[in-house]
Amino acid sequence: MMEWIQFFVTAFFLIAACIFFIGEVVGVYRLGFIMNRVHAGGIGDTMALFCVCLGLGIASGPCFDTLKIAMILIFMWFTSPVSSHFIGQVEYFTNPHLYRHVRRLENIHKYNEVTHEFH
Amino acid sequence: MSIESAYQLLYSGVLVVLGILIFFLLIRAVIGPRVTDRMICVNMIGTMVIASILILSVYLDEGYLADVGLIYVMISFISVIMLAAVYIPRHPDRARYNPEAIEEFRAEEKAAAGDDAGEAPVKANQYRSKRRKPSAAGKGGRR
Repeated sequence: MMEWIQFFVTAFFLIAACIFFIGEVVGVYRLGFIMNRVHAGGIGDTMALFCVCLGLGIASGPCFDTLKIAMILIFMWFTSPVSSHFIGQVEYFTNPHLYRHVRRLENIHKYNEVTHEFH
Repeated sequence: MSIESAYQLLYSGVLVVLGILIFFLLIRAVIGPRVTDRMICVNMIGTMVIASILILSVYLDEGYLADVGLIYVMISFISVIMLAAVYIPRHPDRARYNPEAIEEFRAEEKAAAGDDAGEAPVKANQYRSKRRKPSAAGKGGRR
């Protein structure tokens, strides 16, 4: 009985990870603005991988492999936001039309470098 | 149904779903109009491959596949960072905070909102065609 409970918890987390991965791919296809697509990719990198690692950790039980899986998860949690940040930076530096989507940048001449506010 | 076959079914189903999603992401990486779309897709393919490796390491009960996954995480991260490092310094003058580009956009918007439709759409069309058609300098040879 206990093994079946373990199996169902694992199945729940793995299917949730599949749903997150599917949502990620749908978001990359459907969203129009590039930063929304970056966000969709970041969701898959962190939340879906978290669900996968949690499910597999429950399935394999407390052993050394679970520790390695947790290490991969922690490393991915550190590196995925950095990757998203760099992708956004590439878009910022190479797309001359990005300001059309960001209305606040029309007031860029009002930017105060000391207080970092627009006024 | 025994518990082993149930686990086998679960892991096989998740791996099949991941394979289909990786295929769709590959298509998106091919048709992606800009370099950032391709970078996002490469990043996401890396994540899904890592998830597949982790599932395989539990499915086959081989602990060393988790080490392979750890190396794959590092390589995926370094690939994205290196692509960004290649592309970022290339266009330092085409940044978003370009006041000339903002002025051009404002003039375009004002012309589009204006009454006379004579000059404004022509200007917009010119701007779009400049991006699509290769210029005379570009016909000689692509650098």
